[in-house]
Amino acid sequence: MSEIPLIRLADVSKIYHLESGDFTALDHVSLDIEEGEFVAIMGPSGSGKSTMMNQLGILDVPTSGNLYMNGKDVAKMSNLERTHMRRDIIGYIFQKFYLIPLLSAYENVEYPLILKYKKRDETGKAAAELRAVGFDEALAAHRPSQLSGGQQQRVAIARALVNDPKILLCDEPTGNLDRKTGLQIMDILCGLHSEGKTVILVTHDQKIAEYAHRTVQLEDGRIVEA
Amino acid sequence: MKDIFFDLSVRSVKLNFLRSLLASIGIVIGVVAISSMGMLGTNMQLSVKDQLSSNVNTVMITSDTVRTTNSAGVTSSSTGIDKSQLNDIKSSAGPNDVVPLHRTSTQFTIGSTDGRGGIYGIDPTDVPKFLTVEEGDNIRGVNDVLVGPTIASNFNLAVGTRIKIGQPGTANRPSVRVSGILAARGFASDGVNTDNAIVAADTWYTSQYGNKDIYDQVNVIVKNVDTIGDVEAAIDKKVNRNSQVVRISDASSRLTSITQTLGTITTFILAIGGISLVVAAVSIFNVMMMSVNERIQEIGILLSIGTEKGEVRRMFLYEAMILGLIGAAVGGMMTLVIGYSVVNAMIGSTAYFFLPESLIFVPEGMIIGMVVCVLSGLYPAWRASNMDPIDALRSD
Repeated sequence: MSEIPLIRLADVSKIYHLESGDFTALDHVSLDIEEGEFVAIMGPSGSGKSTMMNQLGILDVPTSGNLYMNGKDVAKMSNLERTHMRRDIIGYIFQKFYLIPLLSAYENVEYPLILKYKKRDETGKAAAELRAVGFDEALAAHRPSQLSGGQQQRVAIARALVNDPKILLCDEPTGNLDRKTGLQIMDILCGLHSEGKTVILVTHDQKIAEYAHRTVQLEDGRIVEA
Repeated sequence: MKDIFFDLSVRSVKLNFLRSLLASIGIVIGVVAISSMGMLGTNMQLSVKDQLSSNVNTVMITSDTVRTTNSAGVTSSSTGIDKSQLNDIKSSAGPNDVVPLHRTSTQFTIGSTDGRGGIYGIDPTDVPKFLTVEEGDNIRGVNDVLVGPTIASNFNLAVGTRIKIGQPGTANRPSVRVSGILAARGFASDGVNTDNAIVAADTWYTSQYGNKDIYDQVNVIVKNVDTIGDVEAAIDKKVNRNSQVVRISDASSRLTSITQTLGTITTFILAIGGISLVVAAVSIFNVMMMSVNERIQEIGILLSIGTEKGEVRRMFLYEAMILGLIGAAVGGMMTLVIGYSVVNAMIGSTAYFFLPESLIFVPEGMIIGMVVCVLSGLYPAWRASNMDPIDALRSD
């Protein structure tokens, strides 16, 4: 076996046991993603994109097969180790932004730093990340509900970046944005990729997928094109 | 540094202010109920104990009739406590006061009127330990006596009046001077009924009636009534070590029985107060479950971006604790007002309200209120921390 890449899915299956019977969301999927890649995962609804994102995001473990993340077999990690891996090497950017509603824009970005260092940010890193994604500082004290979609996604990107993760997992990051704002967000992601981040993007949109250097096409839980 | 999870909890409470307030009111009611009821019961016990303690803090020791055979083989009997037994009693009574006394009954004449009553021989220095001289002074001279209020009233006695002791018509009857009149004691359970009696100095008494160093009764006045059983046991062990030579008694068993009954009543009313806390606990549980259910997606976000389960649990336990803190603080303050009113209305006195035994129910009630809140938050917090982040994120 060659040197293990940043992410390796080795014959990964994910089966959900439903009352109506077993449902195979991922069916013997194998995929390597090297550090610094920009990969788009595409496929129709129900093809297994979200399940794959959950696997890549270590929010779930495979029913069979192995998922190696940063050289470690995820199934052999404890719950706490997986939590710390999510905190330290993965940055999540969701379609619905998923900001913490009770925290301000600044606090949302500061939050992962607090999780990691168990103290408030005194380095100015949270504010710097907000500035880097073009967020208006005057809005830093606003709650997410007081921000526009574009501003919320900028906060979400700053939050994803603040712990300097190796991997950016983006689930339809432009899905809830107008075209112009969506393009601005994609420019930010391209910039991050050029800075060395591994970007994994799930999208329906072919135009958005074209930003990636590699596209993985899923259908019925199988990779049909990589 | 403020904990972000505590901040989140505070904000959640503020966001659902009315709901949180109502839940806290439940805790306020619970804290007030158990604290006030506890205070009421304790005040009742302290009040009754204090009333009874004036009579029951005394151990009475009298002699069993002891048959002894002297070296000449003559059998005699004694009904007194001798010097050696007294010393044993003193050595086993610890720091408590030991009052030996002589007692008999006598006839007397005041002016031209004859009367009958008890007469006690007591060391004048022991008098203030358990008797109150209401008028005049304690015994000073060898011929001074104190008289009980019934004799003083019936014979219209004043300080300085002289009394002839002994059967009328007897020659050379001793004459004593009234140096003071005692306060009424009523029926004294320490066996010293002085209302219709004359109290003389022990030296005068033994000079008249003999039996020096043989006492009719020895009283041990116990400083702390709760130790009376221990004192009795110590005396019994020492004085009756070989055989039953003295009888030891007190009225503490009555006090114990009453205290136990009041204790049971206190527990009962505390339990009634406790019911309101159970209701409050259900209310807190309900609020916490609502909080968890309303924040499922938020919990999903927290878990997915690397929040540890323990941190999520902590956040919800903080929330329960905040509700408990508010409820306990307000409840504690209200207990002082409501408890005072209840004690005043039910017992008619607040003399014992501010004693530590009574006030301790305020912090106790507050702590119980807090603990109930945190316990009520345990399951919701556990449920939140064990959610599947994927399911939680999907929740709308």
